[in-house]
Amino acid sequence: MNNDVILKVDGLKTYFNTDDGIVKAVDGVSFELKKGETLGLVGESGSGKSVSNLSIMKLIPSPPGKIMAGTAIIDGKEDIFTMTEAQIRELRGNRIAMIFQDPMTSLNPFLRISTQMIETLVLHQNMSKKEALVKSIDMLELVGIPHPDKRVHDYPHQFSGGMRQRVMIAMALSCDPEILIADEPTSALDVTIQAQILELIQSLSKRLGTAVIMITHDLDVVAGMCDTVIVMYAGRIVEKGTNDEIFDDPKHPYTRGLIKSVPRLDRPAAGRLFSIEGQPPNVIDLPACCPFHPRCGEVMAKCKNITPGVTKLENGREVRCFLYEGDK
Amino acid sequence: MSKYIFRRALGLIPTMFIIVTICFFFIRLAPGGPFSSEKKISPQIMKNIEAKYHLDEPLVIQYVRYLGDVIRGDLGPSYKYKDYDVNFYISRSLPKSILLGSLALFFAVIMGMGAGMLSSLRQNTWIDYMSMSVAVVGISVPLFVIGPVLMYIFAMQLNLLPVSGWISERGYSALILPVFSLSLPYFATIARLSRASFLEALRSDYVRTAKAKGLKTSVIMFKHVLKGASLPVVSYLGPAFSGIITGSIVIEQIFRIPGLGRHFVQSAFNRDYTMIMGTVIVYSLFLVIMNFVVDVLYGYLDPRISYK
Repeated sequence: MNNDVILKVDGLKTYFNTDDGIVKAVDGVSFELKKGETLGLVGESGSGKSVSNLSIMKLIPSPPGKIMAGTAIIDGKEDIFTMTEAQIRELRGNRIAMIFQDPMTSLNPFLRISTQMIETLVLHQNMSKKEALVKSIDMLELVGIPHPDKRVHDYPHQFSGGMRQRVMIAMALSCDPEILIADEPTSALDVTIQAQILELIQSLSKRLGTAVIMITHDLDVVAGMCDTVIVMYAGRIVEKGTNDEIFDDPKHPYTRGLIKSVPRLDRPAAGRLFSIEGQPPNVIDLPACCPFHPRCGEVMAKCKNITPGVTKLENGREVRCFLYEGDK
Repeated sequence: MSKYIFRRALGLIPTMFIIVTICFFFIRLAPGGPFSSEKKISPQIMKNIEAKYHLDEPLVIQYVRYLGDVIRGDLGPSYKYKDYDVNFYISRSLPKSILLGSLALFFAVIMGMGAGMLSSLRQNTWIDYMSMSVAVVGISVPLFVIGPVLMYIFAMQLNLLPVSGWISERGYSALILPVFSLSLPYFATIARLSRASFLEALRSDYVRTAKAKGLKTSVIMFKHVLKGASLPVVSYLGPAFSGIITGSIVIEQIFRIPGLGRHFVQSAFNRDYTMIMGTVIVYSLFLVIMNFVVDVLYGYLDPRISYK
């Protein structure tokens, strides 16, 4: 096994048991995350990108959710899915940290920032409360909070949204994790703040050597900061490649559609903005077919009754589409 | 904050004044009077009695006279029990009701919050169903059923506890049955309230963050969830406390406890104006003070609330 790989997810399936049937939120997702790499996970709402990552942290609410199959090997050694609850807790916040979408609700409103930051450090780094406070102030300074020695004792409601997300980042990175999972970290923020937060994540992860999984539906975010890009659709990975490959030469019709539907400021406006017609499929009882075929412009007869497999292209690139089956 | 507390405390005075005023005139609207019910009394004797208690004066004069007494802390003579005044009866019965009520409420809070917490952690399991079933029983079965049933089982059949009476005659074990019966409906309400608020907090984003930090469930519950989830319970406790310590007529009758609840009901039947006023003043004084305490507690529990 490659020593550079910090996390290797293989055949992950996470299903939710609902009254209407089994929702196959994630249905066979495999990917590798290299040390220090930034991996972008793109897809529309309900494509399974968040559930994949919550599964890795074993934070799927259960019931109704359940990890049905798959492995997640961290650092080439243990499988996260077979760990005990105590081992998982040792992992969370320490080796894998998470930043969530909404900074307004992700911090506990009843506790001081200092309390919330210190508890992680005391738990994972064997620090005394005093040392942990010093480290917390350092981290807040690192993420650009002014007067961190005073602000550390404030409550979350005394910070703005962007500042709270900075606090979340400081908290997540305080234990020097190997992996940082950022679940749409900028979706709830103003555009100007978005850029600052993304830059912050990027520069800090480079400096600390943290691998980042960036979950987003915003292609600009991916294009700006990710090394590798994974495009998800209906619980499956439809295309995987490096940033340049995906944006210069998208293979899957869905990826092409996504890229085309981003408004371009560097080209003259050519009428209406492109959009992919239709809705993503219901992932309950999906028949054997390409889930994208009703919306695909290049649909073929077999797309409607056979599920396409993964086609491996040059440089470890992967695509799940019949158009490329012959290219192997 | 301390400025707010001071102003709020000062605001209790006009509130009490309004309560006393409204209550004083409302009672007089009821037909009959303290001396009208029994056998026929000659008009002259009636006049003498009324003159003794100043009931022959215009209502406004009576009101001013009464208000003056209350401000000095004198609740006046009882019209029914001639031996002592209202202050004596209340000071004799209120401590018993306070002891009984505080114990019952303390028990209800500990058990109710515990049941609510367990139910929320084990939602839709037998633990959840069981504690919520007990809660439904506590809410729906009236005290005059629960009390005698417990009395029958534990006192008469098993001979474990005294049937009734107060500490002075039966020792501290006499407290167990009335405290338990009285706490049951409060336990039920608190259990249901706290289950709902614990569930809400457990689904919140900040608990997910806490989990993602690798914290144990016990730390999450007591450090991250308890503070927010106890807010609805705290606001319920204010009125509940003033209600429970001013006595429960049912429990006091069943277990023969000489508490305040008896005076509360009996004085209304007797048209014992001063006694009614006395119990109402005690009850509303506790109510406004408890609501004030709850408001202040809220500020300490939830840092987002700031008083100016």
